[in-house]
Amino acid sequence: MFDEPIRRRAGFSLTPLIDVVFQLLIFFMLTTTFMHSQMLTVSTPAPTQGELPQDANVVEIWLMADGSIRVAEKPVAPADLTQAVKTALAGRTDLTVSIFAEKGSRTQAFVSAVEAARNAGAKTVATAKVDKFKP
Amino acid sequence: MIDFDEPRRRPPYETMVPLINVVFLLLIFFLLAGTMEPSEPVSVNLPSGVISDKNTRLPATLYLDKDGFVWIGKKMIPPELSGLMMKDFLKTQGTDRVAIKADQDAPADDLLTLMEGLRQAGVKQVTLETEQAQ
Repeated sequence: MFDEPIRRRAGFSLTPLIDVVFQLLIFFMLTTTFMHSQMLTVSTPAPTQGELPQDANVVEIWLMADGSIRVAEKPVAPADLTQAVKTALAGRTDLTVSIFAEKGSRTQAFVSAVEAARNAGAKTVATAKVDKFKP
Repeated sequence: MIDFDEPRRRPPYETMVPLINVVFLLLIFFLLAGTMEPSEPVSVNLPSGVISDKNTRLPATLYLDKDGFVWIGKKMIPPELSGLMMKDFLKTQGTDRVAIKADQDAPADDLLTLMEGLRQAGVKQVTLETEQAQ
């Protein structure tokens, strides 16, 4: 008698399928970690205060050293920042929003202030640092 | 004499398929891993934000740690000196597009000092990296 030739199993091998699935898995694992960071474009400040717009068409946001934020000299809670800037702008988009950071204020407050100004519709956002606000 | 069909030989290249799969896997891994940024010189907690400006990946990245020091590559400098350092740095990088990864607790005046230095070096706009607010 002759040995029957061993029959190959019908259908496809699973190995390439698993390979492709692993490749997709690794691809998505790597790409999704990139999604976390976002970009916020900010104009660099003028080195001297003289270059800042000095006219009255300015809404000022003050970042105080104790972490509080003031819009047009009135204290504002961080959650109400956008609304306060919007109110101060009063619908005008030709106004400049100036953000002054006091010594001791933090980057998070600065980023929040820039975003509030942008969300409130300001076209121009200027930034500057000051040593101490005079009350 | 009876002729039997010989069992057909499997083509030899078929055994190479899993090997090629693994090689492609490694290739794709290194392609992706290679595009990732080099390890960060200092760990920063990015500030949270909501605005996402559409920017392609920016070539030069500076770091501002929570003590207010600026990291250019592996070098740490105080922000007051950034204006002098930036010109050379941007020349070697061949770009005037800069991203800043600032710690959320970094002093804002140090960030502004750094940005003033960049303005002196001719950079009109910088990009702050933020993390999506929950």
